[in-house]
Amino acid sequence: MIDARGRLGPYLFLGPAILYLAIWVYYPIAKNFYLSFFTAGASRSDAPQFVGLANYQRLLSDDLFFRALMHNLAWVALSIVIPVVIGLVLAVLLVERRARLFYAAVFFLPVTVAPIMAAIVWGWIYNPTFGALNQFLAVVGLGGLAQPWLADPATALVAVNMIGSWGYYGFCALIFLAGLQGIDPEIYDAARIDGANSFRRFWSITLPLLKPTLVFVLVYTIIGSMKFFDIIYVATKGGPDNSTQIVAVYMFDLFIRQGEQHYAAAMSMVLTAIILVMSLLVIRNATRRT
Amino acid sequence: MHATFNRLGATLGANGLLILFVIISLFPVYLMFITSLKSQAELIQNVFALPRNPKWGNYPLVLIERSYYRAVINSLMLAGTVTIITIVLSCLAAYAFAVYDFVGRQLLFVLVLVGLMVSEVSILIPVYMLLKSWNLLNSFVGLVLPQIALGLSFGIFLMTTFFLQVPKDLVDAARLDGCTDLQLLMRVMVPVSIPAIGALAVIEFLWTWNSFFFPLVIATRQDLMPLSVAIIDFMGRFTFNYELVATTCVIMFVPILILYVLTQRSFRRGVTMGAVK
Repeated sequence: MIDARGRLGPYLFLGPAILYLAIWVYYPIAKNFYLSFFTAGASRSDAPQFVGLANYQRLLSDDLFFRALMHNLAWVALSIVIPVVIGLVLAVLLVERRARLFYAAVFFLPVTVAPIMAAIVWGWIYNPTFGALNQFLAVVGLGGLAQPWLADPATALVAVNMIGSWGYYGFCALIFLAGLQGIDPEIYDAARIDGANSFRRFWSITLPLLKPTLVFVLVYTIIGSMKFFDIIYVATKGGPDNSTQIVAVYMFDLFIRQGEQHYAAAMSMVLTAIILVMSLLVIRNATRRT
Repeated sequence: MHATFNRLGATLGANGLLILFVIISLFPVYLMFITSLKSQAELIQNVFALPRNPKWGNYPLVLIERSYYRAVINSLMLAGTVTIITIVLSCLAAYAFAVYDFVGRQLLFVLVLVGLMVSEVSILIPVYMLLKSWNLLNSFVGLVLPQIALGLSFGIFLMTTFFLQVPKDLVDAARLDGCTDLQLLMRVMVPVSIPAIGALAVIEFLWTWNSFFFPLVIATRQDLMPLSVAIIDFMGRFTFNYELVATTCVIMFVPILILYVLTQRSFRRGVTMGAVK
């Protein structure tokens, strides 16, 4: 009796969750893959037609798709250079402070603000007529730099990334802080006695020991930067002139507005594959060197 | 002497940087609050300061006259339901992973982890088709079901790492006392893991409350929209009523702010537990 329960028990407990994931995650991915090999019939009542790799071939010659993909990759780079580095610096500054949890709580506040709300509020800050940013620049004597940040293709992508960065450095800071607190302080004492200066200590002790945390943040940043949608959809809708177009927004547009579900399925398949490969590369590189 | 100056400079620089980021973190939130209380005219003349005549009337106007109380209820119901179901499913699955060794354990756990990398974007189209064929578009159930899938892997992962930390002696003792699996879960694992469950609850609630992508596609009928979609819908119709858009934003943010202030430790635990392992 006990034995039978022992054999069945775990599956009974796992059943609901696995079934759930099967319906709402695994099946959709398989279905998405399947859909990507078809195209809609000539009329609404016609069955979809198998077209092999035609949708993927179309992707290869779709300039807008490549532009969107480049913007996603630029977003990965910007997100590593700006919020991840800021988060690391803030965490290093905080780790030995008594008020660290207070600061961390304040820095984390933007993370709790919905991305759509951040996009709305920053839209006002960037507004050319009443925006706080241009007004601030005027006050400090840099009025010449004032511009319509989100409306100019030259500045739009970076400006919109600042919105994402604003909601992200607090997350990074909190995670780095937890990682730093896990490092044994005696290691630093030993290094101090050996005469290592603070930069040296950071470079040869903190960073290597922080590696698992760094890898997590990098992978998380890559996944987030490749799949994000809300901020662009609300702040710029991919404009002006497609200068902030990203894959998720382009795919959404193809699917919802243009009814191109098969082509959109191929696009999201490629995006998923890229996310997977990039994440695995970071993880593999990180584990090889240790 | 030189070294002391360096140190002083470094301390000043460090404090300056921290204060700068306190301001950067808080300013947009402050702006949102004051904008919701200003008139159109004041908005342009007076960007940074508090409103001279706060227009508190914007709140009843948006909530009652424009019926945004409905979106508040929708969001509360959506986030609440998703959070509860996610916790139940996660605890059940985590129990199996943490307590049992069984055929396929590794494989199933990897399958769960794969779910961590799957995004809304990769499953949008089939999920939409599935909901359509089950007649669940524009329904509360249709909003809840796929939303749970997005956080479930994280929940299982989090609860499994936590359940694994429960001392084995405790489990064995309960077993000897004749506890069934369900009793062991409810009377031992869950009570010991309340902090972790609290962390999962606040994170899941926040995610769902702020979620936008699926609800945007699934809830196109106004009376079903959660706040995130309702705000964008509102903006589409009243783009230049900045103060009213700000009011809707504040209405969406205040419950999260309260939750955040009250359960900060849970937030911190939820965010860092997944990362630092």
